[in-house]
This record gives sequence, structure tokens and C-alpha cells, in this order.
Amino acid sequence: MAATRINRTWLAGSICAVLMAGCVPAVPPELIVALDAIDHDLIALGAPQAAPEEYAYFARQWVSLRARVHADDDLIRWPWESNDIEEELRRLQREGGTTVVRLNERRSRQRSTAESTVTRLEQRFLAMASQVQSFDGRVALGEKPVQTDLLIKQARLFFEQKDYARSIQAAEQASHALRIQTTALTQELGRYADDRQIRQWQAMVKQTVDWSRTHQSTAIVVSKADRELTLYKNGRRVLSYPVRLGFNGIREKLFQGDGATPEGRYRVIDARGAGQTQFYRALVLDYPNTEDRRRFRMAKQSGKIALTKNIGGQIEIHGVESELMAQTLGCIMLDNRHMAELFARVSSGTPVTIVGALTGSNSIALALSQLADQKDKT
Amino acid sequence: MILVRQMLVPVALAALIAAGCTKPPSEKIEAAEKAVKDAQQSGAGTYTAEEYAKLEGTLEALKKEVSEQDGKLALFRDYGKVEQLAATTAAEGARVKGEVDKKKEEAKAGALQAQQVAQEAVAATLKLVAKAPVGKDRAAVEAIKSDADALQAALSQIQTAIDKEDYLAAQTQARAINDKSRTVSDEIQSALAKTGKGKSSPSRKN
Repeated sequence: MAATRINRTWLAGSICAVLMAGCVPAVPPELIVALDAIDHDLIALGAPQAAPEEYAYFARQWVSLRARVHADDDLIRWPWESNDIEEELRRLQREGGTTVVRLNERRSRQRSTAESTVTRLEQRFLAMASQVQSFDGRVALGEKPVQTDLLIKQARLFFEQKDYARSIQAAEQASHALRIQTTALTQELGRYADDRQIRQWQAMVKQTVDWSRTHQSTAIVVSKADRELTLYKNGRRVLSYPVRLGFNGIREKLFQGDGATPEGRYRVIDARGAGQTQFYRALVLDYPNTEDRRRFRMAKQSGKIALTKNIGGQIEIHGVESELMAQTLGCIMLDNRHMAELFARVSSGTPVTIVGALTGSNSIALALSQLADQKDKT
Repeated sequence: MILVRQMLVPVALAALIAAGCTKPPSEKIEAAEKAVKDAQQSGAGTYTAEEYAKLEGTLEALKKEVSEQDGKLALFRDYGKVEQLAATTAAEGARVKGEVDKKKEEAKAGALQAQQVAQEAVAATLKLVAKAPVGKDRAAVEAIKSDADALQAALSQIQTAIDKEDYLAAQTQARAINDKSRTVSDEIQSALAKTGKGKSSPSRKN
């Protein structure tokens, strides 16, 4: 009798236990919490912006499943019943977790790429500015340096805002702009590294020095790359002085007002002493000569310069009007002490040969070569 | 008994017919879809990407529920949940669109303010360039003039970004221009300080 009672009690207890087990929630609450956490992680990683497709996939699934969980939360599930929603939620949890890890890695890589790219660009830009400054080539680049600088600044700002994708994009544009600058400089000043041109300049210098020797007279050679004036007497080097050129001096002179110092073989046609010039003393050259006029005509015909431009003139070797003058409009300027020494030794008719450079290893050629190396590296 | 049977048959038939007539709430579903599209077209993918993704999720849940109900026998179809989801989606869509409009206005105001600051900085730089000492370091002055011209030209990029509603890019460009403009102004100020008043270049050929 007692055994029967125990059996009944055990049976009733078992039934209750089974029924209570059936009352468990359709989806474990911790699963919902875990998926919510994944959603927050993805948002914190900027997934909606950085990986919109991946985030949209997760969010669509998550919202859809959550809506189903919400709708089914009053259902009672027996323990032996399969639970599709829970399985789908667990699958989404696995996928979401993988996405978080992948995005974390991707973001970390992006950050590192953006940081190194922007830093490298900033360094390269500064190095380039310094090299260009060293040979007064800044004017030749026009508006390009500012355009590049603005892109680099934007790349840095995007990086600071943690928008690494845009930072990299702006950095790539800046890198392209830097390459364009290098190409422009190479095109503009490539003749300083051109062997044929260098040989031609060397030949011009040799003829001038030979003339000085043959005629037992003085002759002047000016190297634009070295910014140096050398006086020869009887074919021998007598003295050398540093000079300042036009504000755009290293370029090839094309027209009046371009700030370039002309290259060619000239003669002193007038020596102006005290009171005859505003620049202390001046040796006036016969620019433009026949060759300059021919070049000017051809440049106009080819469209290299506008038809309205003039050839200019009054190119001189002169002293300093005032210390405010660091550059000329195209003339060759010496300190007044040096100008006085030179003026005393030179007279009308003295040949003056102005060349770009005397050797292939001139400062501009070396700077261009360094710029080309940097261009290749980035 | 016959009477009961005679009464039950029409009732059952009426119930079947009524059940067969149960259709999805097309207008409500269309309204929900339109709300999501409106939100997307207003730029929700950019300005409230997270909320927009979830809005799309709600729409997907709605479509799934419709197709689940459509797949059932007519007698067992129940579009009550569809109606509820459609209402939620439409309301959420409208809310997200409102949020986007608000964020866009804020971003636009920020971009316009940054644009104004940049314009003022460039104008101040151009004024200083006019005073730049011509005699001193002509190459530097010419370079500074080029810089100022480039800055002035760059101002148009801010407007282009604003016109494209890319306010973040507009703000970043404006900040970069403002920053560079100040650097150029400092260069001129420093040159002016060294030389005092600017000196006119003599009128010569060359």
C-alpha cells in the first residue's frame, strides 16, 4: 500500500517536473543578451559605415529573429521539441562573432595603413619642399604644392576622426599629386640632368674660356645651378663670386616678366658706374640676341608662350640696390663689394656665357634624382 | 439532429469563405516599403547607417511573415502579425527619415560654418598677399601668391562637396584650407615684420 503511494507520488512529481521543464523560455535570455552585445560591438567598430553590407546582413537577421522571438515568447516548448529560432540565433551569434573579429582585424589593419601612409606622405612632402627650396624651384610648381598639402591635411584630419578609409583615399590622392609634382619638376628642369644639354653647356663654357685665352682678355661664366659667377683672364680662372638670380632663375627664360635668367652667349654692351644705375654698378648684356629672338619666335609659333607676351630685355649683372632685394627679375646680382671688384676688371665687349650647369652632378640634377627615388618608393 | 446539421453546414461554409477571403494588408505593406525607401533616399544609409540597417531588417521580417502566411492553407492564414510589423516598419521609417533630416541639417550647418571660416581666412590671406614685400625674396613672394591663388581655388571644392551633400568632406576640406591659409598668413606676417613696410618693385623690363 505504502509502495503504491510512493509510486503515485513519484509519478506525480515526474509529471510536474516534465511540465515545468516545458515552461522554459523559448529562447535562452543570455543568447539575446549575447547578440545584443555583438550588435553593440559592431556599431562601436563603425561597421554600419565601414562594412555596410556585412552589418546590414547581421542587422537584418537580428531584427527579423528578434521580432520572431518577441512574437513567440508566449509559446510553451517541450524539451524534446526542436527549436528553430534558437538554432538560428546561435548561428547568427557565431556569424556575428566572426564578423566582429574580422572587422576588428580589418579596422586595425586600416588604422595602421592609414597612419603609416599619412606619416610617410607628410615626411615626403616636407623633404620635397626642402629639396625644391634648395634650388629655388618652388615657383616652377605653381599651385601644386598647396593642392597636395591640402590633400595631406585632409588625410590627417580623416585619420584623427577615425575615418580610416577616407584617410587612405585622401592619402592616395595626395600621393598621386606628389608624383605629378615630381613629373612636372622633371619635365621643367630635366635639362639639368640631360647629358646632351650638359655637354652643350660645357662646350659653350670651353669656347668662352678659349676666347679669353686666344684674345688675352677677360670673360665671364655664370652657372645657374651653382649660383656662381667666374671671371677668366687670359683663359685662367681669376675669381668666383656667389650670385643671386631671377626669382624664377633656374628656369629657361621664355618671356618678359617670367623671372627666369636667360642662358646663352652674351656680351657686355654697357658698363654703368655710380649714378648711372640704381643697382650700385651694372654691366648691361646684349639680351635678347639673335639666338634669343629665334627661340622666342619659335616658342610663340609652337604655342609654348602666348602671342601677347614680349621678349623683355635689360638683363644685367649688377649690385644690390638695397638689402631688401634677395632676388632679381631675371638679372644676375652680386654683393656690392664683389660687384666693385668685378666692375673694375670688366669693360664693354667682355663675353658673358650663362649656362644651366657645368657638370652632370649639379645640385638640381642630384635633387631631381632624389625626388625620383622617393617617387619610386611610394 | 437534421436541423443541427442543416444549420452547421452553412455556418461552416461561411467560415470557410470568410477564411478564404483573408488577404495580406497590401496597402499597409506598401506604406511600410515606401517608408523604408523614403528613409533610404533621404540618406539614412550614410547618416543613420545603424538604424537604417535595422529598419531593413524589420522590413525583411515583415516580408518573411507575409510569405509564411501566404504559404499556409487559406483557413489558417492570419495576417495580424503582418499588420503589426507593417505599422512598426512605417513608423520606424518615418522616425529614421526625421532623424536623417535632423542630422543632415546639423551636418550642413557645420559645413557651412566651416566654409565661412575658411572663406574669411583665405580673404585675410589675400589681403596680406597684397601687402607682401615685393623687393624681398621675390621667389618666396611669388610662391606665396601661388599658394593664395591655390587656396582661393580650393574654396570651390567645399561648395562642390556641400552641393553633393557630403558635409563631412566639406568640413574636412574647409578645416584644411583654414589651417593652410593661416600658415601662409603667418609667413607673410613674418616677412612683413622683417622688412617693415612692403617695397614696390622698380618698373623694369627683364
